[in-house]
Amino acid sequence: MLDRRALKEIDLVTIGLLVVISLIGIVFVHSAIYYHASQFVWRQLAWLVLSLVVLFLFLLIDYKIMLSFALPFYLLMNLLLLSLLLFGKLVHSTKSWFVLGSYQFQPSEITKLAIILLLARVFSEYRDDLMSTRAFLVSSAIVGVPFVLTALQPDLGTALTYLPILFGAYILAGMKKKYVIIILVAALLSGYVGWNYGLKDYQKRRIETLLSPAQDPRGSGYHLRQSKIAIGSGGLVGKGYHKGTQSQMRFLPARHTDFIISVIAEETGFIGILVVFSLYLLFLYRLFSTSWIAPDRAGVYICFLSGMLIAGQFLINVMMIVGLFPIAGIPVPFISYGGSSLLANFLVVGLVLNVRMRRFAFI
Amino acid sequence: MARIYEDLGIVIKRSKIAFFVMLALAILVVFFYWKLQVLDHEKYWKLAEANRLRQIYLAPPRGLIMDRQKVILADNVPSFKVSLIREMVNNYEATIDKLCSLLNLDREELKSRIDRYRSLPAFEPIIIKDNLKLDEVAVLEARKEEFPELRLEVEPRRNYPFHELAAHLLGYLQEVSLEEMKSNSDRIWHPGEMVGKAGVEKQYDEILIGKEGKLIETVDSLGWSRGEVERIEPQKGQDLMLSIDLDLQKKAEELLQGREGAIVALDPRTGECLAWASSPSYDPNLFINRFSPEEWFKIINDPGRPLENRVIRGLYSPGSIFKITMALAALDSRIITPETSFYCSGSINIYNNNFSCWFKPGHGRLDLAEAIKNSCNVYFYQLGYRMNIDTIAHYASLMGFGKKTGVDMPGEKEGLVPSNEWKKRTLGQKWYPGETISVAIGQGPLLVTPLQIAASTALVANRGKKILPTLVKLDSHQPSSENVGLPSETIEEVIEGMWRSVNDGGTGHGAYQPGFDVCGKTGSTQIISQETAEKLTQKGEEIKKTHSWFSGFAPRYNPQIVVTVLVEFGGMGGQTAAPMAGEIFKLYREKYVRQKSAEGN
Repeated sequence: MLDRRALKEIDLVTIGLLVVISLIGIVFVHSAIYYHASQFVWRQLAWLVLSLVVLFLFLLIDYKIMLSFALPFYLLMNLLLLSLLLFGKLVHSTKSWFVLGSYQFQPSEITKLAIILLLARVFSEYRDDLMSTRAFLVSSAIVGVPFVLTALQPDLGTALTYLPILFGAYILAGMKKKYVIIILVAALLSGYVGWNYGLKDYQKRRIETLLSPAQDPRGSGYHLRQSKIAIGSGGLVGKGYHKGTQSQMRFLPARHTDFIISVIAEETGFIGILVVFSLYLLFLYRLFSTSWIAPDRAGVYICFLSGMLIAGQFLINVMMIVGLFPIAGIPVPFISYGGSSLLANFLVVGLVLNVRMRRFAFI
Repeated sequence: MARIYEDLGIVIKRSKIAFFVMLALAILVVFFYWKLQVLDHEKYWKLAEANRLRQIYLAPPRGLIMDRQKVILADNVPSFKVSLIREMVNNYEATIDKLCSLLNLDREELKSRIDRYRSLPAFEPIIIKDNLKLDEVAVLEARKEEFPELRLEVEPRRNYPFHELAAHLLGYLQEVSLEEMKSNSDRIWHPGEMVGKAGVEKQYDEILIGKEGKLIETVDSLGWSRGEVERIEPQKGQDLMLSIDLDLQKKAEELLQGREGAIVALDPRTGECLAWASSPSYDPNLFINRFSPEEWFKIINDPGRPLENRVIRGLYSPGSIFKITMALAALDSRIITPETSFYCSGSINIYNNNFSCWFKPGHGRLDLAEAIKNSCNVYFYQLGYRMNIDTIAHYASLMGFGKKTGVDMPGEKEGLVPSNEWKKRTLGQKWYPGETISVAIGQGPLLVTPLQIAASTALVANRGKKILPTLVKLDSHQPSSENVGLPSETIEEVIEGMWRSVNDGGTGHGAYQPGFDVCGKTGSTQIISQETAEKLTQKGEEIKKTHSWFSGFAPRYNPQIVVTVLVEFGGMGGQTAAPMAGEIFKLYREKYVRQKSAEGN
């Protein structure tokens, strides 16, 4: 099944960038939780090694075979999400986790993979220049079902990461203007309904925070204010590794997950931010550029949607920690602490690498 | 495959546009970071300097617990405690070494204590020693500069001035466990916080706890306080007034000194408990010290089980006390009339088995009142012979046996009332009529708590009105007035027997108090089987292995107090338990009745 030519085409540049970015993440997770138990870091390193191994195994399977299993895979993941909602136990006050002994697993992460594969399969036969109503409804439903199931856990942060995938599909399929209007109206309407009935108080406060961050420094605006102080006080060259006063003295909340970039900005300054952004954008370029050389429509969709997923999370995170976007609890792929999301993101990149290495293998 | 010829131009174009739009957005974001980090750096640098606020939790003093005359049974005393803030530790091992030598702590214990809170955020202070001696406080204060990671604080600490007195009633406090912190996430917990783990302290924890305060202070880069920003004082918890009378309580515990058993006294008019003693006892002050595992193990491994609240958790056979229930059941179901008499020859043969009376020579012919007075077994064997176990179970349940009394105290046990259905369900066997004969004198599988006996005695004293026992005087408590539906004339017949038992040379004469008209019933429960007991008597050995019961009320009309006494291995009820109850009746009369009549004169 595996073509020797394909093996030679494995994109080591992208994998190299991925490993460097992940290691930067681990180094700063270590700094962020310096006074916590240090086992966090070893655990994350173990996850990185595991993710790399799984990634290489993943590359052995042709993405065209994966596409043929896209629907059952997608249905299975939704079933898992549904059963979590019905039977799951509360862990960290959400029902996002399957607990097997001391091991926790978050199916909402792997669901991203299923969404990308199913959308790619649905659109692989779609040749129209513009998106039809049917295509619009089908793709919206494909993302909408797991979105609702995940948001109900309640894990709005992870659910929101599905949306860049959907927008990616709209963009590629060629959305008509009238759908843009429908989406805007739907968004406003669901925003209104969600605000009054759906959102938890803390989520509301976070959105209010974006609108007026300065009003209550210890209350709702606290996270954003602390994050901005950490970033701004870092200056050009930063305060030094382990020396960030804001992140070390616990003024910075969730510093090893959602606010890891703030820690980097405080301790390494604008220079560090430039380095991290450059590496990340280079990496994103590798993902997107693969879609430009993909052999078939499904390949284009896979690479582009994967790129959208990673880029969307990155952009939202770096914008939310400086107040350009509501604080939504979205971590940075590969840099933030978190085992199952690291593995899931590696597999998403694996999809892109898979398309790239098989771009010459026509038969 | 033909896909190679597929025209992908348009999707690739869209993909490129989308990427470059996002790239442009990212570059704009980079400019925003530039503005924040380079152009506005000075502003944020100053903010960072001023930003070092630390929030400290201030423990509220718990509400006081008092007896009915406002004597304080539980209060608070100031105490010094020292905690460690892990995120400020520079050299972990060195800090631990120094702490151990300064405060005389065991190294392993200290480490395991810190490890226990590993999963909590590093800024939360972990209490490493409390109840510090003054010289320890002085040492720490003097070397303050050396230990920025330590916090020395004064905290209100629970104190029980009477030590072992009423310990089971009051309960005790212990540090909240990590499991509790995680399972009850509605409440904001602080590591090392003390919570009620038993007794009134547990039952009314939410009322007693008060409201925490907080202190927000500015700290410098080393963590030193540079002044308070905001201080919200903690609010003391609500005080609780118990219905307990300290004098009666003291008397009850004094009587039980050196024995294992329980005494409960209550007011049948309201259900308010006046005394609640369980022996042996323990000193709840010992639990307050966060570092006393040895004492803790000593208490839980004590064979006398001092932690057990025998009043509601001790399960015993009721013995002859159950004859009250039997008499009421037989009268009410018209198996006998008060005049029905049986002949006691010292034993009786039923179902080919010999059942003997405790009085070998036999009581002769006696009616119901005399049978209760003399606690004649044969008379009640005759009742058991004529009654069905389910009828007995029905009346026992009417008297409150086999279910919780509902007293405001955690951990109450239900006891057991056997029935056909019970035996089928638990043993899968049929009930044998022979077993009913044992139940008729309160033996067999029957199990009751001393509080259930007290509540059932109150029901008799109230001529059929049931009470809900309570410990705390709260406005919301309404005395229950549920009538169980036994005619008061029927109850009066039984009370006549109980009166004779104490006042007319019956088994309960030990509880006699001149001028107070005590009515009561004794009980002795066999812990060894009938056969063994007979063998021992034949050999001329004294049987000591019985629990001793007395339960009664006074005065006969308009009763004011119910007293129930249980002494484990106390011998015959009339010998041990009845005189103890007599002492309680005597003290109550001196304190409440004579005083009142003196006032009246």
